[in-house]
Amino acid sequence: MERIFQGRTVDRSRPSRRHVLRTGGLLLGALSAPALLTACGTTAAADRAGNVLRVSQTGDPKTLDPQKQGDMVSMNVLINMFDTLTTRGRDNRLHPRLALSWKATDARTWRFVLRPGVTFHNGEVCDARAVAFSIERLLDPATKSPIVELRFVEGVTVVDRLTVDIHTTVHDPILPAKLSLFGGVVVPPRHLAEVGDAAFADHPVGTGPFTFESWQRDHELRMRAHAGHWNGRPAVDGLVFSPAPNASSSLAALQSGGVDLVAGLTPDAAQQLDGYGGISIDGYTGIRTAYLSLNTLENGPLQDRRVRQALNHAIDVPLLIKAVLGGKATETPALVPRGSFGFDPTVKPFTRSVDTARRLLAEAGHPHGFSTTLTASNVDANVAEALSGLLAGAGVDARVNLLDPGTYSARLTSDNRGALGPIYLAASTVWTMDGASIVQSNVRSDRRQSRWHSAEADRLIDAEELSEDPRRREEAFSDLQRLMRREAPFVFLYQIDNIIARNDRPRWTPGAAGVLSMESAEVSR
Amino acid sequence: MSALTLDKPPTPADTPTRRTDRTGPLRGVLRRLLTALFVLFCTATVAFFLVRLSGDPVKILLPPDATAEQEQVLRHSLGLDQSLFAQYLDYLRGLLHLDFGDSLVYGQPVSEILADRLPATIELAAAALAVTLVIAIPAGILAAMRRGRGTDKTVMTGVLLGQSTPPFWVGILLILVFAVWLRALPASGYGTLANLVLPAVTLAVYSVAVVARLLRSSLIDVLSSDHIRSARAKGFGPLQVVLRHGLRNASLPVVTVVGLEVGNLLGGAILTERVFSWPGVGQLTVEAISNRDFPLVQATVLFFAATFVVVNLLVDLSYSFLDPRVRTSR
Repeated sequence: MERIFQGRTVDRSRPSRRHVLRTGGLLLGALSAPALLTACGTTAAADRAGNVLRVSQTGDPKTLDPQKQGDMVSMNVLINMFDTLTTRGRDNRLHPRLALSWKATDARTWRFVLRPGVTFHNGEVCDARAVAFSIERLLDPATKSPIVELRFVEGVTVVDRLTVDIHTTVHDPILPAKLSLFGGVVVPPRHLAEVGDAAFADHPVGTGPFTFESWQRDHELRMRAHAGHWNGRPAVDGLVFSPAPNASSSLAALQSGGVDLVAGLTPDAAQQLDGYGGISIDGYTGIRTAYLSLNTLENGPLQDRRVRQALNHAIDVPLLIKAVLGGKATETPALVPRGSFGFDPTVKPFTRSVDTARRLLAEAGHPHGFSTTLTASNVDANVAEALSGLLAGAGVDARVNLLDPGTYSARLTSDNRGALGPIYLAASTVWTMDGASIVQSNVRSDRRQSRWHSAEADRLIDAEELSEDPRRREEAFSDLQRLMRREAPFVFLYQIDNIIARNDRPRWTPGAAGVLSMESAEVSR
Repeated sequence: MSALTLDKPPTPADTPTRRTDRTGPLRGVLRRLLTALFVLFCTATVAFFLVRLSGDPVKILLPPDATAEQEQVLRHSLGLDQSLFAQYLDYLRGLLHLDFGDSLVYGQPVSEILADRLPATIELAAAALAVTLVIAIPAGILAAMRRGRGTDKTVMTGVLLGQSTPPFWVGILLILVFAVWLRALPASGYGTLANLVLPAVTLAVYSVAVVARLLRSSLIDVLSSDHIRSARAKGFGPLQVVLRHGLRNASLPVVTVVGLEVGNLLGGAILTERVFSWPGVGQLTVEAISNRDFPLVQATVLFFAATFVVVNLLVDLSYSFLDPRVRTSR
């Protein structure tokens, strides 16, 4: 507000009243000056002319310290400035990134051999010490990291300059997958010691394909291509990330040419953008998997397997996908999504039939259906209402109860397993591309969100979580999915597409996890 | 939500009268300063306890598959496992050093985050103030000169509408008309003059109504006084009379209310910024609330409270200086 004083003639003698009233006008002029000054600070035109890709997603990163964030929006930005040890390729397999190879040397040790000659943007060498430092920093409570994937890691040892051993408390078969995103980022130890955490978050330094340029919170984050990247220089010269919280702002940005590519759109948001000239909308099979959790632990109709099967028959998932999701999703037969390790293509989805559902309900003693509640976060209101309508067709009266996202997530993770009522709608992003990630918190009887207890299922989960042999794990997953298909402890719904809306400039395809790694992107000038 | 000063303070009566101070200017200033500090202390306390009723921030920070132990570790490192009273004392201790703590979500000092967002909010408020004056002053003058006629009735109807329509609704309506139907202006965003137009107009609607109404009524008062009649007798035209003689005397209450409106404009930014996703303090407040970012919510609430307190203080102090009738003995 010091501008106010610039508009005022500083007068040692006391100004007269009239004088003050007159300068009031000047003062107000000065007040509105900053608004006019920023008006010409736009760079969109320059970006359009250059080889710059402008990407927009639903939000802004929370922080640029990669170990102090745990949300996809932040990770999508940071993956361009930082490298991880492993990466998930378009073929859904793990590929080398900063680690060239890895193997389990014994039940509780994973050995990683690192890529030689990698340096951080500031020239610091990225070696085994940097990797060990990064993992130790993530696990240090003082870091307050919200990243939970490395829960079984208990220590790291540097074997030699390019080899590290990661020690776990139990065998963790999917550790290399967990190091392909949040858990596997490598940060520069010497630089961090020099500048401290706060300065590092203000100006991140990684080994990634782009270097940090500037960040105006909630407006735009700019990066430049890193010519010295070990994988060669990216095709685009610059990368700009900006937040567009809703469909209308995305549309406005795409139409005005301020943005080339919008990611993270929900299917109904994408439908709003459909049909505008110059905008194409592509859906790619994703990994975010939606399901209804059924509480079988409380007395009620849901304890009967036939009732649970009836719900699965009643909910016509393909119709739901077509009607509510604009076709931008794929039916998921038994919780584990297509494309992730452990998916068994021989397990078929339920036949969709209201008659079968009614027959099963009658057999279970509910010839006239029953009443229940379906709880969901209010961001999923449309899907929840549609589900309720489909259930009504079979005589099940499911009242929809919508909660704000904060309350919803608090109840989801509370120790009271009935906190979200008898039926709730949930979704999980299986970014490790391993079935364990979606099964782990929902099924085994000692886990917080498990609402169906089966000794057989617990045995199979132990087999898939702890076996060292991938074939054994795969078998356990198959058996588990067949068991769940039979017992129907959930209503299995769909895996949602990664939806990209773009103009005609960019050429880029997302992987199944939908991570916005733009190293491979190209733009036409 | 009223703790967030979303409600407008009561509008001053048509001609605000301020109590004169007979105890000498310095003591009056000191007393007002102490009152202001006390008000801010109360606000800080209420904000501290209210925000903690909203639930557990750790549940939002960690993904659903986190274990109970991981939640406990994070809760401990954020200091959220201490007793409420210990946390409160910590908070007050920080306030004494003007340290508002670190944001739970962003991990950086709250004061830095606020400083980042402040320019956008000030810009919006300044633009809205400019819009207010450009529209309200001519409207007020016109209504006073055409008192009781069609023009006056039109202006007064507009005033009534402007004062009773909630800003977020005005904003949505403007987006619908200018961004969706006419495609003339961007619906949201930040950085260009075009981005500023709709939010500034939205934010200004209420203030335009307040200022225009007050200017009209104080002009009508002035125009019926003796020296205006003598000015008319000298043969000045009606517009000249108003501009050269009337405005000067009618402007005092208007200056006061414009001062108060500055506080309103800064505070009213919450809903407007939300509607237009304007990256200012208002938008930050809403995000902080939905993230249960305790320190950040406390700081933004304090910021809005301080804005009102400071503006009121300035108006109070300048009033005695501007108005010869309440000039204190010097």
